[in-house]
Amino acid sequence: MPPEESHDEASRKALDYSAFYRGKIGTVPKVPVRSLNDFSIWYTPGVAAVSRAIQKNSELSFDYTNRWNTIAILTDGSRVLGLGDIGPEASMPVMEGKALIYKYLGGVDAIPVPVKVSSEEQFIAVAEALEPSLGGINLEDIASPRCFSILEKLRGSMKIPVWHDDQQGTAGVILAGLYNALELTGRDLRTSKIVLSGAGAANIAAARLLIEAGASAQDMIMVDSKGTLHSEREDIDQLLMRNRWKYDMALKTNSSKVHGSLGAALEGADVLVAASTPGPGVIKGAEISSMKRDSIVFLLSNPVPEMWPDEAIKAGAAVVATGRSDFPNQVNNSILFPALFRGALDVRARTISDTMVIAAAKELAAFAKKKGLARTNIVPTMLDWDVFPAVAAVVGEQAQRDGLARKSRTRSELLEEANQMIQQSRSLSSILIEKGIIAPLPRDTRQEA
Amino acid sequence: MEGVEIREAKEGDLEQAADLIVRVKKLNGEFDPLFKVVDDARERARKYLGDSIKTHGHLVLVATKGTKVLGVLRSILQSRLFYLPSKEGLITDFYILPEWRRRNLGDEMLQEASKKLKHMGAEMIIAEFPARNEIGSKFYTKRGFRAFVETLAIEDRRD
Repeated sequence: MPPEESHDEASRKALDYSAFYRGKIGTVPKVPVRSLNDFSIWYTPGVAAVSRAIQKNSELSFDYTNRWNTIAILTDGSRVLGLGDIGPEASMPVMEGKALIYKYLGGVDAIPVPVKVSSEEQFIAVAEALEPSLGGINLEDIASPRCFSILEKLRGSMKIPVWHDDQQGTAGVILAGLYNALELTGRDLRTSKIVLSGAGAANIAAARLLIEAGASAQDMIMVDSKGTLHSEREDIDQLLMRNRWKYDMALKTNSSKVHGSLGAALEGADVLVAASTPGPGVIKGAEISSMKRDSIVFLLSNPVPEMWPDEAIKAGAAVVATGRSDFPNQVNNSILFPALFRGALDVRARTISDTMVIAAAKELAAFAKKKGLARTNIVPTMLDWDVFPAVAAVVGEQAQRDGLARKSRTRSELLEEANQMIQQSRSLSSILIEKGIIAPLPRDTRQEA
Repeated sequence: MEGVEIREAKEGDLEQAADLIVRVKKLNGEFDPLFKVVDDARERARKYLGDSIKTHGHLVLVATKGTKVLGVLRSILQSRLFYLPSKEGLITDFYILPEWRRRNLGDEMLQEASKKLKHMGAEMIIAEFPARNEIGSKFYTKRGFRAFVETLAIEDRRD
């Protein structure tokens, strides 16, 4: 089926099935209710003793309630997928979908929380007010550049991990793919010339993480709609006022101050990471040909990559990745975020550091490598079940090394716990389907006709 | 800073220095729409600096590295008709390329300008910039400057 047709088909099914199931997630009891008498334990009067204990020591809320495994998927709906500022209500289906992935692949109880707020300060106040209920927060689909300042402020003020998947998640998977692509083409991260096309949340975060992982900032070039970023660009002071994060990148990167468009930046480059404008035709074959031989090209715009992968290969790219599942090498956050939060929650981490994300990226890369490193296999897929506990374990370990964990666990304990949580989640789903509690998919009458 | 020189501007510096003057004017526009920059600002900045380096009582300093101009500071010596002290050195424009900020170059240029203006007869140093320019305000207050003259504006709202 051609990609466009498959997209239409998925859209139609999503509408029909959403109406049928009326939501993708719900809550499930974790304790036995043998009779109504049990509510005297789980609720009043027994529960008062638990509340009094937590009142004396609020940390016990992680031990006596499900707080330890609960995160909020918090959004203002200001930049949802490729849909833009669609508002909190319209963002709910996306947040529910994310919650489903968190539960199914990571065993994490994620609650969709789209909020109606009128300012960044209000958003921050809402997030901070939610802290007593949560083990962590996944910020989602918030417009740039306020997503940067929100993440920065909340990471500073909250004692639970706050993660912005559009930034850190994308950056982590890009790094994972890059580790293997570099190995395949005989390159070293530290000496590779990397060009990032697009200077939105994903690429700015990717640039920061790549630098943290050892890439040369001086040799890196970011390109936005006005051309290459550098410290003397005419609008540099406007960037200082309007987007401090992009300004910082303009100062840190492109030390030779390459002027001009993407084409100028790509001459002699080893790697292109494009997260700019949906294509095709946004990047030309000639631009890829001007890169070094056997270049690495990530074309991450959705739903259509900046150029078709076969065109990039024809123009000389050795390894090509996209954001789509119908091409090889899908750079997809879903292989990272459920595992990352699993690991962070299991050691009760206070935050998620860059080193935790780098450790996760290395593990993702190692996992793909174990399956057989190839130009069409640089990252695991969502079907690689074993990757999730493996990544969770290294994240938990790294949090302990970074001094960010409130619980101490060995690698094997972490692996076992993550395995159990994820397995339990999948088993629960299977049982609910088998028992008919989750109804079978409704008959697709249109297809039958 | 190795290889960086702070000196009075020469004719050969003015092309690059004029670009920096336009940058500071555009930055002012970021803070307040009443500082919207005119289309031919570049030509005006070139003439403005060209006139200044030839005018007695004007001082244009540049920070350079080799042939590259990294920063510019323009100032003028003014008389105060009714007040004492009677001579003030007014800094009208000050810009340093972002890459060279936070390296003490701003302090060094300010010190050099203050020294030269005092030598020219200034008994006090003042700096002028848009009231909403928080960057300018922070820079000078950190260095002991205080609010001195208040200028209020109202737009002409004729229908």
